[in-house]
Amino acid sequence: MTTPSHRLSARPLAIYPAAMLLVFFLIPFGIMVVVSFFHRVEGAFFEPAFEFANYARFLSPFFGKILATSIGLSAAAAVIGVVVAFPFTYFLTTMPRRQQTVILVFLLSVLSLSEVIIGFAWSTLLSRTAGVSNLLVWIGILDGPQAYTPSLTALLLGLCYLGFPYAVLVIYPALSRLDPELPEAARMSGASPVAAFFNVIIPVMRNTIVGTLILVFVFTLGAYLLPQVLGRPQHWTLSVHITDQAIFQSNLPFSAAMAVFLLLVSLALVGITMLLSQPKGQRS
Amino acid sequence: MTSVRIENLSKTFGEVRAVDGIDLDIPDGKFVCLLGPSGCGKTTLLRLIAGLEAESGGRILVDGQDQAGIPAHKRDFGMVFQSLALFPHLSVAENIAYPLKIRGTGAEERRKRATELLDLVQLPHIEDRAISQLSGGQRQRVAIARGLAIDPKLFLLDEPLSALDAKLREHMQIELRQLQQKLQVTTIVVTHDQREAMTMADIVIVMDRGKVQQAGPPIDIYRRPANSFVADFIGTTNLIPCTVKDGRSIDVLGHEVTLGEEDVINPDVNGSAILSVRPEDVAVTERAGDHTVPGEVAFIRDLGANVEISVRARDLEIRSVCTPKRRPDVAVGQTVGLEFHTGRCTVMAS
Amino acid sequence: MSTKSKTLHFSRRRFLKTTTAVAGAAVLSAPFISRSYAAEPLKIGTYGGYFKDSFDKHIYPEFTKATGINVESVAEPTGEAWLVQLQTAARAGQAPADVSMMAQTTRLKGQNTKLWAPLSEAKMPNVKNVPDHFVHRYADGSISGVGAVSWYITLVSNTEKYAKAPTSWKELWNPANKDSLGLLALVSNSFLLEITAMTWFGGTNAMDTEEGILKVMNKLAEVKPNVRLWYRDEGQFQQALETGEIPMGQYYHDVTGLAASEGKPVRSTFPKEGGVLDSGSWSVSKASKQVDKCEVFINYMCQPEIQAKMSRKVGTAPVVNRDILDLTDAEFAAVASDIPPILPRYDLYESKSDWLNQKWSELIVG
Repeated sequence: MTTPSHRLSARPLAIYPAAMLLVFFLIPFGIMVVVSFFHRVEGAFFEPAFEFANYARFLSPFFGKILATSIGLSAAAAVIGVVVAFPFTYFLTTMPRRQQTVILVFLLSVLSLSEVIIGFAWSTLLSRTAGVSNLLVWIGILDGPQAYTPSLTALLLGLCYLGFPYAVLVIYPALSRLDPELPEAARMSGASPVAAFFNVIIPVMRNTIVGTLILVFVFTLGAYLLPQVLGRPQHWTLSVHITDQAIFQSNLPFSAAMAVFLLLVSLALVGITMLLSQPKGQRS
Repeated sequence: MTSVRIENLSKTFGEVRAVDGIDLDIPDGKFVCLLGPSGCGKTTLLRLIAGLEAESGGRILVDGQDQAGIPAHKRDFGMVFQSLALFPHLSVAENIAYPLKIRGTGAEERRKRATELLDLVQLPHIEDRAISQLSGGQRQRVAIARGLAIDPKLFLLDEPLSALDAKLREHMQIELRQLQQKLQVTTIVVTHDQREAMTMADIVIVMDRGKVQQAGPPIDIYRRPANSFVADFIGTTNLIPCTVKDGRSIDVLGHEVTLGEEDVINPDVNGSAILSVRPEDVAVTERAGDHTVPGEVAFIRDLGANVEISVRARDLEIRSVCTPKRRPDVAVGQTVGLEFHTGRCTVMAS
Repeated sequence: MSTKSKTLHFSRRRFLKTTTAVAGAAVLSAPFISRSYAAEPLKIGTYGGYFKDSFDKHIYPEFTKATGINVESVAEPTGEAWLVQLQTAARAGQAPADVSMMAQTTRLKGQNTKLWAPLSEAKMPNVKNVPDHFVHRYADGSISGVGAVSWYITLVSNTEKYAKAPTSWKELWNPANKDSLGLLALVSNSFLLEITAMTWFGGTNAMDTEEGILKVMNKLAEVKPNVRLWYRDEGQFQQALETGEIPMGQYYHDVTGLAASEGKPVRSTFPKEGGVLDSGSWSVSKASKQVDKCEVFINYMCQPEIQAKMSRKVGTAPVVNRDILDLTDAEFAAVASDIPPILPRYDLYESKSDWLNQKWSELIVG
């Protein structure tokens, strides 16, 4: 009896997310796709057209290498970030509730830091004149202060720092819902805490881990300031080049084409990751 | 061949003394139930024995060996958890054989043992199923099978049947008991259900507020509760204030009752006390006599299988239960006499 | 002083940048209401922020007092966005500003589409004070724009790390300076190609052909091991220069001077090859209905005393010859130098921008 009225009331509610998706994602994305086929007018703006010149320019060893750099960096940041965040979150969930709250609030406040602040803070921390190496000199480990930035390590550090709070905040709810008796059951079966962690907790959390990897990967893929501040030019990601083209060269069609390409490649990678990570037996 | 000895064991969580100076002896091959209301410390005691919690004081000896410093995974016990804690990413056989895998047993032998254990718990041919495909009762049995996979020194179960419905639970109680008798493994089960404890246990250990209130065979505890908490927690009872006079004579609600040889007066009793007598040990006579306590029938409930009569004596309501055949010819409002069966009365400190 | 330096280099940065994506939206909607000529004040566009504030404070009130012309100060968006707005509006016969301060590359683009109204030399006698490279002309000789403000990009160094001031841009190539330079990251705002051409190939004429440009680029590629930071954000480099983290590089002469006057251990040096002289120029939209008033304004701005005032108050280098200015040596040195400047090849950034940009990216990244 209630079914028809249910349907009636559910319909306007379903329009809301659909409208949000349309207005804030599909339409801007559509505009971007359209612009990516427009004709770039050098020395002016662009004019409507349908040509593949922008994509053709992208399909070169030069941009191929940049795409590979971007994906490699983000993948590395995602893997390192999750490898660090997962045990961190696991120990977090075993702490008393109040301490958990304090740490989570702290992490949330880290989220409020923009990429700009994170980038400049790390570049100072890793600098020769004001960085951590001075501390190491003071302790007596180093003979003289060193600069650790710009470098690949510095960039990865920054990207991981950027992704870490997100990783923790995604893993935390899943881990705190995890039945605490599962690892105990493993221990009573004879597994050491470490074995229980790898044999039970990691496999049970597989979907969460894959989801977090994808999130951090996609999130760091959009970083365009950290590569400039902490990396060398060979570490400048596609996002940096998109920004350069859009802001400094006013070449919107080309930057749109690059953005579309980046989006398609990351979608494909996410799809492949999800396919590969399906547990056996559930694969159809 | 495993016996457990617990000496002055205690565990505190902050200010709370969850286990408060417990001494226990659990002989080899016995089925022991830790029974008590929630928060009494029974689960903590089990987890201390398992090694999942570290003791704050005292010792646990298994076959004479102090367990302090031996981590849970090196104690070679089997355990069934309240949530069952089956590994969702492993098949039934993989779950059961996990303790063997950890110990380096080969794949073929693991498979054989899993099949064997599934036969034992009467679930043949489900080795390759996913845990998510099993019913509640099937999961229960798989968890038991996993707990028994290595022929554990001790088999520990924490409220193992609480997730099952009433009918299945009674069935599993009997099955678990039969399984234990077949394997002769020393078994400790935590439960808050006194019927479950009575059904399965060789020894029931009644706990409250972190202390053991009474330990012994179930029928002893039922018949001769050590104190009013045990008397009330195990089954239903009438707790009637009384005064102990000289010898075996007590004053109950203003009437003198003489106890028989087999009635129990707990040694700590002195002066005013409590008389515990089970409803089935209270007879209602149609007239009040010299050796009976007078009262007035307040309510009669005929449940078919038995008849309950509530009698008001002074400001107390005393319950009597009898079979329909023995139902006295009384009506509500009638003045009657209450007679306590000799040999079934326990007098305990108030 | 420090706020001035901050806002100045911030607006400089924006001055040099071109279109933002946001500008696209502004292009689509530009309703301009026509008002009667008499009541209409002269609309003057300068970059929003430091430049507009400085003009509002130091220039416009006295201009109105001197000429009776009221000014409506218009904040320009950065770079090409404004050009596109002016073009779109001009097609509709409207002018969002009558006269605008334009970066050279964008000014050239406007000139190519004849966006700028030709100006009368006779009505602007003070233009004779302005050197030729700041007087922009159409092919027929008519004036399309006149220099407004200019500034130098020079060789800067940390005085604690370099006791002796460097004297040549060749220091950028010196192997002793490994991993210690901060250079601007973009071809169109670093002018490193011009610097290289001037330092090693005898002048920017070496870049007249693509072959020549590639030769210059190859020479420039040799500095890469010395570059610690390719910066887009001035603040990052200035701080690193002051702390000595990155002790040498290219930077703005006046901002560096300000930092030094605040006691920071930095100095700006005009190398013997010259500092890079970048600039903005006044251009008048062809849709403007008060070109004559624009000419009055440009003529006013070309007075030596106004240029001297700009140097003192705003920190810009004068666009008129030094000999007619009453600036002291110290005041002049704070903003400029007598060493002949390196003049940017804006024509290349206008005609070959994508090609240059691609080659530049490959040069830096590769």
